[in-house]
Amino acid sequence: MKGETRLVSVTVNGRRHEAETEVRTLLSDFLRSELGYTGTHVGCEHGVCGACTVLLDGAAVRSCLLLAPQADGAEITTIEALASEGDLHPLQEAFHREHGLQCGFCTPGIVMAVLGESEAGRDLDEVVDDVLAGHLCRCTGYVNIRAAVRRAWPELTRR
Amino acid sequence: MKPALFSYRDPRTLEEALELLAEHGDEASLLAGGQSLVPLLNLRLARPSVLIDVNRIPGLDGIEVREDRLRVGALVRAAGLERHTDVASALPVVREALRYVAHPQIRNRTTIGGNLAHADPAAELPAIVAALDGTVTLVSRGGQREVSWRDFFRGMLTTARRPDEMVAWVELPRPPGLRLTFLEVARRHGDFALAGACVGLSAENGTVADARIALIGVGGTPVRVPAAEESLIGGPLDAEGLREMEARVRDAAKPIDDVHASADYRRALVAVLARRGAAKLAEGSDA
Amino acid sequence: MSETLARPATLVGSRVPRVNDRKLLTGACRFVDDIDLPGMVHATVLRSPVAHGRLRSVDVSPVGDDPDVLLVLTPQEVAEATRPIPCVWVMPGQRQTSYPVAPIDVTRYVGEPLGLVVATSRAGAEDARDLIVIAVDELPAVGAPEAALGEEAPLLHPDWGTNVVVDIPRGDPGEVVTAAVDGSPHLVSMRFRIQRLSGNPVETRGLVAHWDSRTQELTVWLATQVPHHARDHLAETLGLPFDAVRVVAPDVGGGFGTKDHLYPDEIIVCLAAMRLDRPVKWIEDRNESFLASVQSREQIHEARLAFADDGRFVALHTDLLGDIGAHPSNVGAGPAFVATGMLEGPYKFDSAGGRLRCVLTNKTPTGAYRGFGMQQAAWVRERLVDEAARKLAIDPAEIRRRNMIRADELPYTTHHFQNYDSGDYVGALDRAAELIRTDAPHHEDGRRRGIGLSSYIEFTGLGPSRVQQLVNFRLGGYETAVVRMESDGTATVLTGVCSHGQGLETSLAQVAADQLGIPLEDVTVVFGDTATAPYSSTGTIASRSMAVGGGAVVRAAGRVQEKLMRAAAHMLEASPEDLEMQGRTIGVRGVPSSGIPVRELAEKVWLGWDLPEGMAPGLEERELHDPADISYSYATHAAAIAVDLETGEIEIERYVVAHDCGVIVNPMIVDGQIHGGVAQGLGGALLEDMVYDPEGNPLTTTFMDYLLPSSGEVPDVVVEHTEVPSPFIPGGMKGMGEGGTIAPAAAIGNALADAVPEIADLVTETPLSPSRVWTWIRQRLGGES
Repeated sequence: MKGETRLVSVTVNGRRHEAETEVRTLLSDFLRSELGYTGTHVGCEHGVCGACTVLLDGAAVRSCLLLAPQADGAEITTIEALASEGDLHPLQEAFHREHGLQCGFCTPGIVMAVLGESEAGRDLDEVVDDVLAGHLCRCTGYVNIRAAVRRAWPELTRR
Repeated sequence: MKPALFSYRDPRTLEEALELLAEHGDEASLLAGGQSLVPLLNLRLARPSVLIDVNRIPGLDGIEVREDRLRVGALVRAAGLERHTDVASALPVVREALRYVAHPQIRNRTTIGGNLAHADPAAELPAIVAALDGTVTLVSRGGQREVSWRDFFRGMLTTARRPDEMVAWVELPRPPGLRLTFLEVARRHGDFALAGACVGLSAENGTVADARIALIGVGGTPVRVPAAEESLIGGPLDAEGLREMEARVRDAAKPIDDVHASADYRRALVAVLARRGAAKLAEGSDA
Repeated sequence: MSETLARPATLVGSRVPRVNDRKLLTGACRFVDDIDLPGMVHATVLRSPVAHGRLRSVDVSPVGDDPDVLLVLTPQEVAEATRPIPCVWVMPGQRQTSYPVAPIDVTRYVGEPLGLVVATSRAGAEDARDLIVIAVDELPAVGAPEAALGEEAPLLHPDWGTNVVVDIPRGDPGEVVTAAVDGSPHLVSMRFRIQRLSGNPVETRGLVAHWDSRTQELTVWLATQVPHHARDHLAETLGLPFDAVRVVAPDVGGGFGTKDHLYPDEIIVCLAAMRLDRPVKWIEDRNESFLASVQSREQIHEARLAFADDGRFVALHTDLLGDIGAHPSNVGAGPAFVATGMLEGPYKFDSAGGRLRCVLTNKTPTGAYRGFGMQQAAWVRERLVDEAARKLAIDPAEIRRRNMIRADELPYTTHHFQNYDSGDYVGALDRAAELIRTDAPHHEDGRRRGIGLSSYIEFTGLGPSRVQQLVNFRLGGYETAVVRMESDGTATVLTGVCSHGQGLETSLAQVAADQLGIPLEDVTVVFGDTATAPYSSTGTIASRSMAVGGGAVVRAAGRVQEKLMRAAAHMLEASPEDLEMQGRTIGVRGVPSSGIPVRELAEKVWLGWDLPEGMAPGLEERELHDPADISYSYATHAAAIAVDLETGEIEIERYVVAHDCGVIVNPMIVDGQIHGGVAQGLGGALLEDMVYDPEGNPLTTTFMDYLLPSSGEVPDVVVEHTEVPSPFIPGGMKGMGEGGTIAPAAAIGNALADAVPEIADLVTETPLSPSRVWTWIRQRLGGES
């Protein structure tokens, strides 16, 4: 059974893609299955866990709550964009140094949310108290995630 | 789960959208922020035949701050409203309440119109609309109509919006001298409220001139409590007055039991929140 | 006598950053849903919509000729093609010891897997599933344990005449405990309830199954903690030779016990792959996982603590009723067994015992979840201890001090036959009691404040095989490590345990690198694939990877190092004691010019050239470690809370852990495990509740209703360690993965009772939601506020 489809054009991490997909395809599945960006993970499809967070035109959004056609013409940034030429992004490096990840499944979503909200001008306390509270991690207990964000913050806000 | 099949339309003008609504209204859902609708689609609890994506319609995302009122377009994102400096100074309670709405990532997408139209009984914004006697303007192919908040919120997840209508904007009056605050208790930071209260007070010559008490989470819709408001007006706002107000709020609240809290708890809680809100305003802090 | 490390440790004990972080941080990892094979298709599981009913028919005809639907498997087809799954932990007298992959006559819980739909897309499979009509004659259902015991209770198995599936005595004989209780001047007697939980790792379950019809081999990429166990059960249930089945654990996003066995739905997916001759992927939905993955915890305890005038504990007894759901899972009554087995915690009693009953209800079966009965035991025991202290007006830390097993009394055997090995329980208690006190001034904000302690012993390092046999946990308790130094001087460690977040790639490498004397970056740890990993019967559960798996690595790496040194000694014409490793060379101590590169040496040994008399070529050692006994870690947690009497809200202002798990390999990883465990413990204490109505209908099947703790609910946990080594694990390590979850509920509950002593006798049930706490406060303090 194939439903109605649309041609969806998106730029992901600076690279342009075009693919025909069912209109009901979630952006998370479009990025992962159709375009191959599997770094973004899906934890619930309820919009609660935050693992699927990507940047859509610079804003942190839950990709499981967007339909692929809604992203037509948009610029999307996923976790794969962060490390460049072998060097980890300061936020990734901070997570590594502070042991802010264990199984790593929720991590890309958290990193992208922190990145997006720091670039949107939120202050550190807002990010730690408000943005992080929108993500579920079952492994770390959050203590080291907060430490990682605080560690990376001067570098993040300098950029 | 993945959504069931639907037909997708993304009108580029309001007229187009209203035509689609006129044609498909009964079996259509409006997709704005999607933060409430898409989870329902993903759980297959919502199965519209037609999904009308209104995000590309221009002209519905304006914020107008006037002397006597605030008009917020239906497609204003909660994050945008939260950040708007003029709104923050004109009606600080709006930002105060928005801080309780989920998390910044949700607020980046969720729209004011969508939030009100979804009418979750524990959503924060309806309390503000009710406290200020706000109105919602609905548009259809046939024209537009302004609906008072009381007529707009009909029941749990139910509004006066007819299948061929969509929310165009909400207007919040700005009564001079009225200071407001919003409090809620939720299980976790960002969750829907177990109960919440928006309290507004204005004073004249040391007594209360105007009082607004709007509650959420204690019924299918936001609720004003005239008996409690009246008990404050003309009085000095002292401890006894606050206790009386609290008792009247408790009497008016008709919550239900659910997995998160009992009805008895919600009833007592919302009254405590109303009292604490009033006390906070009385102390002179309103932010 | 413990086998100490061959040389002074350098990497062991260091906060080494993890070696696998980069791939996880950059999205270069591969979880099971990231796997895409040519021709792969997608499944969705057909599940029972009712809590209890007689299956009349499953009508797939409405699906029609949809070309995108490739296969529909009905319960009948599944049952005909599979054998039942054996329960792994079977209690004496247990009425049911296996369960079918799909039921053909009666369905006994909402969500029970019945069959499968496979289509070219997941959405398409769900569309088809929506059309299938399951006709069920509903039967009366029972959704609560006490009701399941009732005279008129609906029976899940009418031929049993009861819903009780296990009923055994524990510890000292009942008369002995009763006599001790009767002879005591004081008694605290309380009824406790621990709620049902759902494990919820952020990655749900899932698999990709690939049947190669030419070679008749099944390969399954499975999000699992136990690849070999899954392989064995797959082969058994599908009637395949063991070596025709290969299970590969890719990157796995957390398990916590929910991925510790092979599930019926996973078997059905493999069956479909065999029928279709195409790879089949199935990923569990989140809302599906609430009903499809094992739930946990639910227990009721009628418990008593008898004590003397000076607070000395005389007797401890519990009558435990465990609600294990619609059938015993692979561990069945295991958590109840451990709850009673570990009930005594770190204290001495003249007598201790209990009764263990597990009952079936029409709910999802319960299984393993981090803590595995110890969390329930801590809730019961630590609350009783505090209430005893309150009765006698003794400080809660003092009453614990008076009763704790002292360091010089270890080893100590409890009334439930636990042989506590080593430690200083009082030391941890004292440290936690000290750490929780802070000089920070309190705002007078109208809230009540309190402090609560919770002390426990953690059963870790599950093994040895003889103990597992004794308790009828039908798996071998050993671990095997293969350590191979390649001819380039780097080393590969093959282990039967597998990481799903706990950093074994790094910690086991630290252990091996220290033993071998080579840099950490020259060691690679490999696991997860049954084709290459040494056989692990029990797998990565029960806090055993470092103690049992690490112990095997210590031994195997030690033997490789020892052989390397003998070969070097021969080549350098020196004696092994005079040689030392320096980075990547071996030379005579004090003679810098004498060094030869390790890689040169390794190459020679693999060539078999210039070896000493009697030495075979090669640098690969295989060691099996069947530990001497269980290892026991321990801790005391302490919580300082503020309670709002008008709203029932609890705020945790400070949370401390004084912990000991023997020799610590990587303190950063250990602290991380504790943080994560505490977060889960706080979730159980305050937020999480898997709720069913009395008829077995689930009410909390989304993340909107089932509340996991977020960052806002978990404070910065203060953790301190002591390291009293294990007396018998090579390397001195004990396990510790579950400890964090064990204590928090009791610490918070005790703090609440301390803050509001008026309600102390009511603090018996979790979660301590605002609504519940407020109700208790109202009951005792009255008034509207």
